[in-house]
Amino acid sequence: MKTTGQSGSRTDAALSQAMDGLWMRFLPEIKARVTVLEAAIKAVSEGKLTGKQREAAQAAAHKLAGVLGTFGLTRGTVLARELELTFARESSPGSGAGAKLAEIAAELRTMVERRKPSA
Amino acid sequence: MARKILIIDDEDDIREVAALSLESVAGWEVIKASSGAQGLARAEEYQPDAILLDVMMPGMDGPTTFLELRKNQATAGIPVLLLTAKVQGTDQRRFADLGVEAVLFKPFDPLTLSTQIAAALGWS
Repeated sequence: MKTTGQSGSRTDAALSQAMDGLWMRFLPEIKARVTVLEAAIKAVSEGKLTGKQREAAQAAAHKLAGVLGTFGLTRGTVLARELELTFARESSPGSGAGAKLAEIAAELRTMVERRKPSA
Repeated sequence: MARKILIIDDEDDIREVAALSLESVAGWEVIKASSGAQGLARAEEYQPDAILLDVMMPGMDGPTTFLELRKNQATAGIPVLLLTAKVQGTDQRRFADLGVEAVLFKPFDPLTLSTQIAAALGWS
């Protein structure tokens, strides 16, 4: 959308405000996806990741990758995509990868919890 | 003229953001469906000008839904745009080979989604 002129600015502001409302509405769901990732990463560190957990983590990461950038969290999409690719591999990540994956999940968690209203 | 768009996506957040974007930015009428099966029924009932179809859905996925839309005479002519978060080249080629009008990617910018759709469909 071209955003020149006052009318465009008003539309942008209204859209941003509505987007913030949707963010708050869906935040519990978004946080729950991060929790799924955290649990899977903990299991990786302990060498206990199950196939079902890996699939759930891949799906959660995929959904986060799709939605975070839409809410302006572009870096969140990059991080989620990295986790999606990690959990998409047939072989489970080795327990040595746990620390790095935990860092990514921690950054995601912080980003999601600190998102500021865009309006 | 206000366009009528059907959004088929099982993810509530993406569906609602896309709907908000198309309604508030472009002023289009939006119909929503949360599954492939529901989408098929709504497409036949509402005859939208275009369908925005998510790829990864439980049950009937996007490509299967697309093929079902094409099989039905009542929906075969409706332009379909796939919406995907998949970025791998093999997936993109597979989607393009299906015969959809365009493949759009998540995350999308709510401010420009309608512009992308209009450009892909040659709407002025």
